Amino acid sequence: MSDTVDKQYYQKKDLPDGVKKAGYILTAIGLIILVLAFMFDKTRASFNALMLLMFLTSIGVGSLFLVALEYLGGAVWSTPFRRISEFLASIVLILPIVAIPVYLGLHELYHWTHLDVVAADKILSGKAAYLNEGFFTIRVAAYFLIWILFYYLITNNSKKQDTSSDQKLTKKNIKLSAGFMPLFAISITFGSIDWMMSLEPHWFSTIYGVYYFSGTVLASLAALTYAMVYLNEKGYFGDKIKKDHYYSFGALMFGFVNFWAYIAFSQLILIWYANLPEETFWFMQRWEGEWMYVSLLFMVAHFIVPYFGLLAQPSKMNPKRLKFMSLWILFAHYFDMYWLVMPTMSKGEAPFSWIELGFPLLAVGIILIVFNIKSSKNNLMPVGDPKLKRGLDFRF
Amino acid sequence: MSERILYSYTGLFDTPDEIIGAASKTAEAGYTKFDVNTPYPVHGMDDAMKLPPSKLGYASLVFGLSGTIAAILLIVITTVVDYPNIIGGKPFFSLPAFIPIMFEITVLSASIATVVTMIIVFFKFPNNAHPMHDTDYMKAVSSSRYGVSIQADDKIFSEDQVKDFLNSIGAKDISPIYYDDEEINFKHNVLDLKFIGGLFLLAIIVSGTTYFALNKLMYMTPFNWMMEQDKAIVQSTSNFFEDGTNMRVPVEATIARNTKPYKFKNDPEGAAKFLVNPVPGNEKNLELGKKKFNIYCSPCHDNYGKGESRLRGQFPNPPSLHSQKLRDWSDGRIYHVIMEGQNVMPSYSSQINETERWAIINYVRALQRSLNAKESDLQ
Amino acid sequence: MSSVDYTKEYSVVEGSPRLSEIEDIIIRPLNVKPDKKFYMAISVTLTMLLIGVISLGVSFYYGTGMWGNNNPVGWGFPIVNFVFWVGIGHAGTLISAILFLFRQKWRNGIARFAEGMTIFAVMTAGIFPLIHVGRPWLAGYLFPYPNQHSLWVNFTSPLLWDVFAVSTYFTVSFIFWYVGLIPDFATMRDKTTNALKKVIYSVFSLGWRHSNRHWQNYEMVYLILAGFATPLVLSVHTIVSFDFAVSVLPGWHTTIFPPYFVAGAVFSGFAMVQNVLIFIRKIFDMEHIITLDTLEKMNKIMMLTGMLVGYAYAMEFFIAWYGGVEAEQFAFVNRAFGPYAWAYWIMVSCNVLSPQLFWFKKVRRTIPAMFAIAVFINVGMWFERFVITVTSLSRDFLPSSWGYYSPTLVDFGILIGSFGMFFTLLLLFTKTLPVVSIAEVKAVVDGAQPTHGDH
Repeated sequence: MSDTVDKQYYQKKDLPDGVKKAGYILTAIGLIILVLAFMFDKTRASFNALMLLMFLTSIGVGSLFLVALEYLGGAVWSTPFRRISEFLASIVLILPIVAIPVYLGLHELYHWTHLDVVAADKILSGKAAYLNEGFFTIRVAAYFLIWILFYYLITNNSKKQDTSSDQKLTKKNIKLSAGFMPLFAISITFGSIDWMMSLEPHWFSTIYGVYYFSGTVLASLAALTYAMVYLNEKGYFGDKIKKDHYYSFGALMFGFVNFWAYIAFSQLILIWYANLPEETFWFMQRWEGEWMYVSLLFMVAHFIVPYFGLLAQPSKMNPKRLKFMSLWILFAHYFDMYWLVMPTMSKGEAPFSWIELGFPLLAVGIILIVFNIKSSKNNLMPVGDPKLKRGLDFRF
Repeated sequence: MSERILYSYTGLFDTPDEIIGAASKTAEAGYTKFDVNTPYPVHGMDDAMKLPPSKLGYASLVFGLSGTIAAILLIVITTVVDYPNIIGGKPFFSLPAFIPIMFEITVLSASIATVVTMIIVFFKFPNNAHPMHDTDYMKAVSSSRYGVSIQADDKIFSEDQVKDFLNSIGAKDISPIYYDDEEINFKHNVLDLKFIGGLFLLAIIVSGTTYFALNKLMYMTPFNWMMEQDKAIVQSTSNFFEDGTNMRVPVEATIARNTKPYKFKNDPEGAAKFLVNPVPGNEKNLELGKKKFNIYCSPCHDNYGKGESRLRGQFPNPPSLHSQKLRDWSDGRIYHVIMEGQNVMPSYSSQINETERWAIINYVRALQRSLNAKESDLQ
Repeated sequence: MSSVDYTKEYSVVEGSPRLSEIEDIIIRPLNVKPDKKFYMAISVTLTMLLIGVISLGVSFYYGTGMWGNNNPVGWGFPIVNFVFWVGIGHAGTLISAILFLFRQKWRNGIARFAEGMTIFAVMTAGIFPLIHVGRPWLAGYLFPYPNQHSLWVNFTSPLLWDVFAVSTYFTVSFIFWYVGLIPDFATMRDKTTNALKKVIYSVFSLGWRHSNRHWQNYEMVYLILAGFATPLVLSVHTIVSFDFAVSVLPGWHTTIFPPYFVAGAVFSGFAMVQNVLIFIRKIFDMEHIITLDTLEKMNKIMMLTGMLVGYAYAMEFFIAWYGGVEAEQFAFVNRAFGPYAWAYWIMVSCNVLSPQLFWFKKVRRTIPAMFAIAVFINVGMWFERFVITVTSLSRDFLPSSWGYYSPTLVDFGILIGSFGMFFTLLLLFTKTLPVVSIAEVKAVVDGAQPTHGDH
């Protein structure tokens, strides 16, 4: 057996036409719904736009995190699929555009943007140094800048390696990833605080950033798993991807399902136990009226189903189960955004109609289009990566 | 010495690649009762030997779930059913607070049970009498070589064939392993007199030493779960206080909480004159008065105050509360009787608090009016 | 190691030793008589242990008034030390379970030793809650058993969760450790010439035959145990953090405590393991089994967890300001600039600043430098627990009930004694059991696994 990978074999191939079409159709429908929604009910549309933004941030920035993690951890088994994460990470490029509808509805979303409200509220005026539109905009711009910058730096090196097979590029990317990690932690934490925690500006929780982070990684992992199993079944990765690769994805998703549950439970039990009114009201909003059923459903959807779906060892390597579970987890993550965002808009009853249905379509459409564009220009596998051969031959 | 019984034929290999090849060839040759011994787990060996996947996962699932159920039953029975306490203002059944212990017990029972199942059910351990022990083969695979062992009770085992087969797959140091006569003939006898006697002696020595050490040398009584405590028991003598009693007198000029000194001791006229009923005779207070009257007063005065005692003559019957004299008494005068007692009636000041006394008086007034209604009541 | 070739997988054991050489090296300390250095070391640790025993005796005889615990600060040294030692105990299971699940082969050389440290650290930690309850001989009350008072323990109390978590953790770690030892006992049984040792090893090996039919189930159990131990190790320090965080005390009640405590525990645990391993690999000639690469990887994990801890410090401060709760804001200002500011700044400089030196490869691979940093980390992590416990208690809501806590000599005696106990047990461990897993190291030597795909 030769020591190098047959590069030609793994060169880029076009995605199935169905995927391309689906992307454009879904995006078109989604955009129409978005415009209609803003015309009919601006408040509700803004909240939905925020959910969309946070979901896409999860997938995009989370995928960038996975790429960096692979470099830092020296992981080998995931190298053949790193490109998928890189393609998904390119969502960060369009995040500023997705953020526009959120910006249009800034006053509907955040009541700390109303200066008269802030002036009348002692606690809010105490936070005004942080929660004001100017500083908010600067911070958001900084997050986008960090993500886009590191996206370019890391993926450019990775792309260059396809032709040069230069090992120094791997080393460079390891260093870049090390630099990215602290910035990622800061940006994802404060991003989630700014965009979602400040919806209830009186509420606070130190674990909030970690909570969003756990969902982010889970969602981007699920997206990666789905794409990887789907493309592999269509024969895009050749014949070397075995159950050992599948198992690694299944196990990792299972691990992060548990990690998410751990973080969510920690937040719940500490607030529930201490019973301080300035904290509990946030959970009470999610436990009153219809929201109680939504919250119960949420627990089942985000933990119970994926937990038991991925618990057994064979189910972690079963491609069908993996595809179903990764789609389910993506749905659960969107549900998570809904659960985090919506109770602020509507107390007591959980709104659900064509608006809430339309925005996820847009999310799927955008992801598909971005993936399409990227995959038509780049190789689906990092063919020049020195770790690729080992990654393809990976066995326990 | 009788002929030795053959356990298996063994052959050794030097590299992991060889042993994998040997294992798959042995499995392909149709042997089922064979084994591969390696100093560490060799990857891919399970496939080569065509072993079905391990079933231990089921054991841990079953024991883990039993642990969860046992934990939730334990917690619910103790804190919700048997001895409910309000803690932190939370409901008796507060699931979030139960989860940590449920989790710990699940992990504990699953881990212990899985390992015990593996050792006892799957491995049939402890087994230090296995014929393979103390053979050169065992010493080799224990350290640095890899071996195949084909057991004599395999269906297609025949000594010559197996020897040839092992040769053909390239095994070195092919050697037979025999059962150890001594271990075959060894009989366990737990009822052996020496064994039982030894246990008995051990028990006596251990308990005797413990008793002597703890009770005689250290003067430590056996642990009695706080049945004896260094505390002052009321109404017993004390070696600590000078006056020899454990109970202490209150500091001068102090009163107990929720009590007021009674100003009209031995002064019924004063009480009649100056005490005013502060409790309004509304429905709520009448209910209270009725309740307290029925508890404290009715045994002698009966439920209607007529003096028809339920004590069947064991205690003198009191006069009726409906007499003109009592109807003319002021509330304060009746209060005085409750406070101080009258004739054979003792004081009820310690059983009935101030509000309740006045409520009872209101109720007595209502009883009185029920038998001697005023003109206005009849309209 | 000037340039790394990413196409190759580097063996975690250097020098491709033969299999029999590995066991010779690992077993040798059990067969040679302890030398002078060993006696010197153990006399030092036994002296420390004796100091602890005397201090405990004094505490039992005169009562807990001998400690510095006072009215606002009821949780002084005992709880600080408890959290510290439980934290040290976290690295072992992390190395043996989590790194196993992530299939990090470099763990094989250090797993056994780290697990041993876990067990000893948890044993040491267990002393502190027991003595802190004041009457350790009544510890039976901590367990739910039917009694004549028909009273039950309070299942909703984090202190009871601790009882369950720590005892479960100890039991499972012990089982994990023992399961790992079984094949090694078998190897030693077949190797030894001493009749008594043979009996002992035989009994503990349970009759292990290195059979692959057993290895298969054995690996399965190892995987399952690792799967259980991983959430377990998180749960233990999470529950320890609940002791603080479910209260309403400013500085204690903050939702990031669970992951923050776990990260801190791993941080200090790795520092301790690294410190001890540096000696072990030198003294027992195991430099090619516990390699410099392994130590470097541990240093990287310390750097990572150090930054996680730093993140938590920063988050606490930010949210204290952002939350707008006055008592909370005061608690954090008081931490950094109040009477215990010295402890706070020791903590920050040791835990957040000193591991930053690990950004430099040179530092990560220089033994004296990394040793010093790990010592700083341990000091810093001890002070972290001190800062959390003492500053919040000493100044809570009511200024009239503020107080200052200062530990007494007896407190320090018990602390020294806990180190004495830990290191005494460790020293005895190195002379009685193989400090490195023989079977696991053999499995990762060059050429130990078949080359796939060629047959």
